[in-house]
Amino acid sequence: RRGTKMGIKSEQHSSASSIDSSSDPSAAAASSSSTDLRLGLSISSSYYNDLFPTPTTKTRVQPLSWPPIRSILRSAHLDKALDHKQASLFIKIYMEGIPIGRKLNLFAQDGYDSLIATIAHMFPTTILCPGADRVHSDKYHVLTYEDKEGDWMMVGDVPWEMFLNNVKRLKITRADRC
Amino acid sequence: MMMGSSFPEEVLEHVFSFIERDKDRNAISTVCQSWYEIERWSRRRVFVGNCYAVSPLILIKRFPDVRCLELKGKPHFADFNLVPEGWGAYVSPWIAAASTAYPWLEEIRLKRMVISDDSLELISKSFKNFKVLVLSSCEGFSTEGLAAIAANCRNLRELDLRESEVEDLNQSSGHWLSHFPDNYTSLVSLNIACLNSEVSFTALERLVGRCPNLRTLRLNRAVPLDRLAILLRRAPQLVELGTGEASDLRPDVFSNLSGAFSGCKELKSLSGFWDVAPGYLPVVYPICPRLTSLNLSYAATIQSSDLIKLVSQCHNLQKLWVLDYIEDLGLEALSASCKDLRELRVFPSEPFGVEPNVLLTEQGLVSVSEGCPKLHSVLYFCRQMSNDALRTIARNRPNMTRFRLCIIEPRTPDYLNHQSLDVGFGAIVEHCKDLRRLSLSGLLTDRVFEYIGTYGKKLEMLSVAFAGDSDLGLHHVLSGCENLRKLEIRDCPFGDKALLANAAKLETMRSLWMSSCSVSFGACKLLGQKMPRLNVEVIDERGPPGSRPESCPVEKLYIYRTISGQRFDMPGFVWTKDENSALGLS
Repeated sequence: RRGTKMGIKSEQHSSASSIDSSSDPSAAAASSSSTDLRLGLSISSSYYNDLFPTPTTKTRVQPLSWPPIRSILRSAHLDKALDHKQASLFIKIYMEGIPIGRKLNLFAQDGYDSLIATIAHMFPTTILCPGADRVHSDKYHVLTYEDKEGDWMMVGDVPWEMFLNNVKRLKITRADRC
Repeated sequence: MMMGSSFPEEVLEHVFSFIERDKDRNAISTVCQSWYEIERWSRRRVFVGNCYAVSPLILIKRFPDVRCLELKGKPHFADFNLVPEGWGAYVSPWIAAASTAYPWLEEIRLKRMVISDDSLELISKSFKNFKVLVLSSCEGFSTEGLAAIAANCRNLRELDLRESEVEDLNQSSGHWLSHFPDNYTSLVSLNIACLNSEVSFTALERLVGRCPNLRTLRLNRAVPLDRLAILLRRAPQLVELGTGEASDLRPDVFSNLSGAFSGCKELKSLSGFWDVAPGYLPVVYPICPRLTSLNLSYAATIQSSDLIKLVSQCHNLQKLWVLDYIEDLGLEALSASCKDLRELRVFPSEPFGVEPNVLLTEQGLVSVSEGCPKLHSVLYFCRQMSNDALRTIARNRPNMTRFRLCIIEPRTPDYLNHQSLDVGFGAIVEHCKDLRRLSLSGLLTDRVFEYIGTYGKKLEMLSVAFAGDSDLGLHHVLSGCENLRKLEIRDCPFGDKALLANAAKLETMRSLWMSSCSVSFGACKLLGQKMPRLNVEVIDERGPPGSRPESCPVEKLYIYRTISGQRFDMPGFVWTKDENSALGLS
């Protein structure tokens, strides 16, 4: 079941051969409308600018890691739809063969490009872009994610915003296994 | 030296065995050389507040026969994701060293540390008399490691995973529990509330059934209520219980559970209640009069009226952790019914919402401070506060020892007069002369730090966010608070001056954390160079500080005293005075 769903999805979006979400028009629209929400969230700007947003906007975002509640407590409320008022979205990312996952803040990424770049720093491997030729080697890996329904999908097959709404966790699997 | 030789060692050792507190033991060890020797050979319990302050080797050299080891790793702000992953706090060198040096080790307690399955296996095989494992806010291990503990620790009494992150490996999910041998019966305390996936219920039921001394059982979410009833009938002697999920209200389950609870005559502490259908609450009403501790911080489905009904029956309640659904009205009921209350924590149900979603204000806290004479420990999240309220609370409760207030919106002023909350918090530190822990919030100027420096003489831990105007604020605290051990600061305009002027103070403290402040890399380097007994760690994920001007503020700064020098396990984003030392060379 996993194989079929992945196959179908990646074929549909093979035109988005790069993982740049801006090549998909709907993704571009979605990401530009959400840029304002996440302006305060990129790591470089948040530490030197005044973090305190103007008091009038209702869609204002809280500073990173504020208020100081433990994420385990937050998870008690995570059954609600994804709340973009949160400044961070931490999910786990696993590499095939390593049982312990690592945490990754998806809201700190601008899109798929930035996600791949961040992951490249965390794990010693090369992530293939979706749609590229499958390489039969254990040196290359592909990035997959588990969605809300528990299915494993190729990362990059949906617009970034939609991905954020659906992703539960990430997994790096060997390219020749997919 | 004359005094030391007039008593045989055995007598001194016997006398020392009555002295348990670290402070006292440290004191007697300074009397003379022979007392030092006798004391160090007889010290059984060691607490290391910062795992990088001392090395395993140094510990073992001084205390050769430790039975109980407690270690703390990451700084407190790691709880809120402020410490990047991979920073450190690995316990494996400690376990490796202890495995050969302390064969009689019985207890390991870790907080905010990274522990691997390998370490868990090593623990399970190295210490024949191992009894207690407490992993508080730890990570890096899976159910495989737990299986090793279960299989090999024949004398295990306590397994407490409180709020740790445990990887559930599919192949052994739930089955790690079945690794406890059939003839294992010594379990006293089991806390698996943090486990995400299911445990094998059969294994759990058999385990609970054959351990007659089981007092504490904190289940995880995945244990449904009908199963809970079975467990309660097997272990009616339970003193502390954490329930699993309880969302589906069914009459047969209700009556079964009622019966089961009525058999638990010793139950004093309740927690869990994930998504509990309010219709189930009556099953615990018979227990309420005996309850001393109630944790409802996961009960997102219980609203004010049900909470009031519940707490109004808990006349012996000492500790309450609850969501702000309790509202001011509920806290008023609490203050009327629970005269023995010592500790209150009120958590936000919608921490990221801009508008208040509940009728919880400063008034709730004021009520409790009025009605509960023994209240001394408070953690309170709210959206408005006034100096008047703080003054009232301070006057009502001069016995306050821990006061943590979080006004959700940063820099919120007194809602009545729009001024800062300086005088309100000033009243707290002035009246509460035994205050040991304080967290500030709201609109605050340098003035509040002047009050804290003047009055906070017993203060040991201070948390500050979005407060202050200048270095003077930090200077007041560092120069005034004589007993300060831990200081954690975020998003405040504190820079180099106060830090450098109070460098010596830092050696008297456990640690200082500063993030999103204005401390330059140049100052950090200078501090590191001048103070060899401090580790000054710059945590900066933007790349080498050398690539920016030295006056550029660092992202995060963690300074701690140490007698074991620079650590060797620093990741690439931690920089010290030797800029190159963090380049992954270790």
